[in-house]
Amino acid sequence: MSKRKSTGLTVVSESASYAELQKILRERIYKISAPEEIDEDSDLEKPRRHLLDLIQRCSSMGESNSALIIGPRGAGKTMLLKSVLDELKENRDFRDNVLEVHLNGLLQTDDRIALKEITRQLQLENAVGDRVFGSFADNLAFLLEALKKGSRDSQAVLFVLEEFDLFAHHKNQTLLYNLFDVAQSQQAPITVIGLTCRLDVIELLEKRVKSRFSHRQIHLFNSLTFDRYLEVFSSLLTLPTAEVKDKKFCAKWNKHVQNLSDDPGVTTILRKLYDTSKDIRTLKTFLMLPVARISLSHSRLELADFAEAHKILTADSKSNTLHGLSVLELCLVVAMRRLSDIFVNQPFNFQMVYNEYQKFVQTRSHAVQGFERPVVLKAFEHLQQMELVRAAEGAGIGGRGQKEFRPMTLMIDRSQLMQAIQKYPACPTEVKHWANTL
Amino acid sequence: VRVDDMMPNIPKTPRQRKEPMGVLEQARARLHVSAVPESLPCREWEFGNIYSFVEGRLLDGTGGCMYISGVPGTGKTATVHEVLRCLQEEVDDSNLPEFQFVEINGMKLTDPHQANTQILKALTGQKATPEHAAEILDKRFNTPAPRRESTVLLVDELDLLWTRKQSVMYNLFDWPTRPQAKLIVLAIANTMDLPERMMMNRVSSRLGLTRMTFQPYTFRQLQEIVMSRMKGLQAFEDDAIQLAARKVAAVSGDARRALDICRRATELAELAKTPGRKTAALVNMSHVDTAVQEMFSSPKIMAIRNASLQEQLFLKAVVAEFRRSGLEEATFLQVSQQHECLCRLDGVTVPTMSQLSGVCSTLGASRLLLVEAGKSDLSQRVRLNVSQDDVMYALRDTT
Repeated sequence: MSKRKSTGLTVVSESASYAELQKILRERIYKISAPEEIDEDSDLEKPRRHLLDLIQRCSSMGESNSALIIGPRGAGKTMLLKSVLDELKENRDFRDNVLEVHLNGLLQTDDRIALKEITRQLQLENAVGDRVFGSFADNLAFLLEALKKGSRDSQAVLFVLEEFDLFAHHKNQTLLYNLFDVAQSQQAPITVIGLTCRLDVIELLEKRVKSRFSHRQIHLFNSLTFDRYLEVFSSLLTLPTAEVKDKKFCAKWNKHVQNLSDDPGVTTILRKLYDTSKDIRTLKTFLMLPVARISLSHSRLELADFAEAHKILTADSKSNTLHGLSVLELCLVVAMRRLSDIFVNQPFNFQMVYNEYQKFVQTRSHAVQGFERPVVLKAFEHLQQMELVRAAEGAGIGGRGQKEFRPMTLMIDRSQLMQAIQKYPACPTEVKHWANTL
Repeated sequence: VRVDDMMPNIPKTPRQRKEPMGVLEQARARLHVSAVPESLPCREWEFGNIYSFVEGRLLDGTGGCMYISGVPGTGKTATVHEVLRCLQEEVDDSNLPEFQFVEINGMKLTDPHQANTQILKALTGQKATPEHAAEILDKRFNTPAPRRESTVLLVDELDLLWTRKQSVMYNLFDWPTRPQAKLIVLAIANTMDLPERMMMNRVSSRLGLTRMTFQPYTFRQLQEIVMSRMKGLQAFEDDAIQLAARKVAAVSGDARRALDICRRATELAELAKTPGRKTAALVNMSHVDTAVQEMFSSPKIMAIRNASLQEQLFLKAVVAEFRRSGLEEATFLQVSQQHECLCRLDGVTVPTMSQLSGVCSTLGASRLLLVEAGKSDLSQRVRLNVSQDDVMYALRDTT
């Protein structure tokens, strides 16, 4: 397939086109937080306006504010903030006027670390290079003093707190109190923006911290309709005509993508995906596998690619684990399932499982040989290691009691077991029958 | 370079900031919580009390304590600051002997004992460890010095200074009782019964019975506060301010809230400005109402409406399971069985267990559900963080 096509002046080989295609698509799909264009009419437009106004006023008027952006994971909180900041930073006044401090609740796990990070990012005088001197108390006093000395003419500071809810778990919420307090008093102008996925985040705040917070909440939801979802799907796969060298190839590919999004088979799969989760991040994860497959020899995306990806994405992990068990272990799982069905919600111990297994071996089994007790115990322990069987609640963990008599519960639902048995490679008929009598 | 030699500062901007121009912009600047007025409306009585207390002690050259309590946003700190500003003016007119003012805030300390260090630093400029500072202060307040001026110490967020032995609080309230100390302590906290609830007897007895409570603002007072800030500026319709005041007074009586709502309402009015006209209209009832909705409303119903189909079904399944068992808690396994039934009923593909636990944890992350850590798997317990009625209401016209 090394046919050479000439398009005007440039001669681009087909394999080069595919390499380019791969590059563009992979960058778009694998880079999760790549900024996107926000349409004028999308649901994000209103919150975006609000946020833009807020940050803009901090820089131009020296007004202090605080706000929370709340929305489920994958709703585009960070993306929204980034797009707002990108737009504002095009303005030189804004760049000169505003210092940014980015904190993340997962990294700054306590106020001590957060303070050092703030000092470092603000480049206050007690920071030399990347090291910050002084004790925790000194750092706090120093920062507060610096902010207090500031006035309307100081540079504005923009604090961005990602995973805001984790900051509310710090001792006394000192950092939050101080940031909000500065935002509500005549000191250096600051804007505090928190990003979180918890809807009840306000209830986490202490009374006095809550009173100082301005209660501006910007809510984002995954409010895509299915038609918009399909549009996002095709736009993720469509090549930008302006950037690709081989125009003919590009047109052909985009036509193909258009056909794909009209294909009822593909839409059915996408509908299923949309029903479980509406966020774009899941869609991107879903597209990873099909996109990785595109190559010279596999030049088009087929329905089968999407079906495969969907199957992998939605596979039940427990059933998959069950496929890898030995026949003896599978027998034990069936025995335990029987026990949990007979004694509803009661824990069982190894001895009971062993008896049940013995009964099976003596009455039904002709092909499956009966194993010695120590062998069965070993298999049981293996199941325990895979956490398919767990010590029952309240039974206490640790070495108390003999292991044969420790109360246990099974972590597999009946439907999962039945599914797994049907697909188990070369499952003995007796075991199948036995399982069917459940 | 030693740390304490350095001067903390935030660099100045190279550009001039814009002055607020339009009516609404001016209103917004005045409504900002930080724009504290010269004299606080509706707190005249409290002001008089604190003023005469401190003034009396200053004139006598004695010491004493006062405990001030009230819910957040009722003007405690602002009133005390105003009192001290007025006293300072009196001193400048030499009607009063000179005094030194020291302020500490429990929330701005990393550790209760740091209070000693900060007081010492404010009084003498010395820097010492907390234990050493306590000793120096003790000596200072115990030795007679006839020419020493009085000290007024403002302790904000007093409850944060609690330690197991309560030595910090004890010292703070014991020093004023010394004859030579000339120390006046004004302690501020939120709860009225803090001395009885948290302090040992010997601490609360030293605190004494001079107490003052700041009541939450009533709607008339809130209205007056906003009006006084808007004096000479026609930005609001009167009814609009009244609505904001009534809404806030019904919830908390927090002045900060009322100001924030009004400020947000001016923004909304600006956004709603008709493009043809040069100036925006006045802030009216509808703007304030939208602002109140934005700040006080619970977004949970919206969140449920915007959830994916499986998430909505899962919530339904939780409610169904609760109704079946009569309990307010269910295990993941039980809910998943209900979920399967609901899926079959609606003709939706039944998700696998892995998918379903993904759905469950998504709902858990946004706190529509309260779930245990995912490692307890099938037996993890699930509770609703919304009322059952809310779920049913939100899902009534969908699916």
